[in-house]
Amino acid sequence: MSVAARIHALMWGVFSLGGFIAAFLLPVLIYVNNIAYPLGLWPMTSKDPTTLLVADQLLGSVFVLVTIGGSLFHGIFRFQTTLPELGMRGQTDRIVSIGYAIIAVGIIVLLYFLLILNPSFLKMLPIPHP
Amino acid sequence: MSQPKKYPELPRKKLGPGWWLSNRHYTMYMLREITSFFVAAYSILYIYQIAVLANSPGSYARYLDVLKNPLMIGFSIIILGFTLYHALTWFMLIGRIQPIKLGSFKTTPVQALIINTVLLVVISGAIITIFFMGK
Repeated sequence: MSVAARIHALMWGVFSLGGFIAAFLLPVLIYVNNIAYPLGLWPMTSKDPTTLLVADQLLGSVFVLVTIGGSLFHGIFRFQTTLPELGMRGQTDRIVSIGYAIIAVGIIVLLYFLLILNPSFLKMLPIPHP
Repeated sequence: MSQPKKYPELPRKKLGPGWWLSNRHYTMYMLREITSFFVAAYSILYIYQIAVLANSPGSYARYLDVLKNPLMIGFSIIILGFTLYHALTWFMLIGRIQPIKLGSFKTTPVQALIINTVLLVVISGAIITIFFMGK
């Protein structure tokens, strides 16, 4: 199998994993952060849900990274294959390039701000520590 | 040099951008694919929320006020609807391409949908319990 074919297979594998993440983890985050909190519905919290997740709990930061990173990958990857079907067939290469750029920048920015909010999060990442 | 084609190319009907509106099945297919836009849009919006929280507490308080705006709540309900539609169609799809086999028994797509929907409710409840209950 060529390197390009391996990378292609890996991308589809991550896309599939992202589909599960978006299906199982994203709805509850949207509900709690964007519907329950503004409307004062169950489960009522003393602080806003995002502050509770990323500033107070290490596990919460991991949850946000996995949920948002996986959903971003899945959403953009799938949308970039949908756009050509909506009449943008001539722009496929450009759409794919922009899509991968959004995924890469989005995940790096997310990781960067999660590290600022919760520096102990660094210890959980698979990189050598001083 | 390009290789000669093995088979003659059949004439293909050129489809316009609205081809998916001509048939109910095509419309449902496109609606399912469009859920990806809402999944991606929410992810980008949430990354922005994290960035505002990390940068400035004052700006974050203003952002929380934006979350309470009725238009934003309406938009969030639409995003949640599309995300749930993504979840249910994903469960159905998974049941079709990778059914669970137990001996001679094999799950149907509808059974996979039911099992995974129950799992979605359990996981959502567990997340609320771990991260938000009593906090």
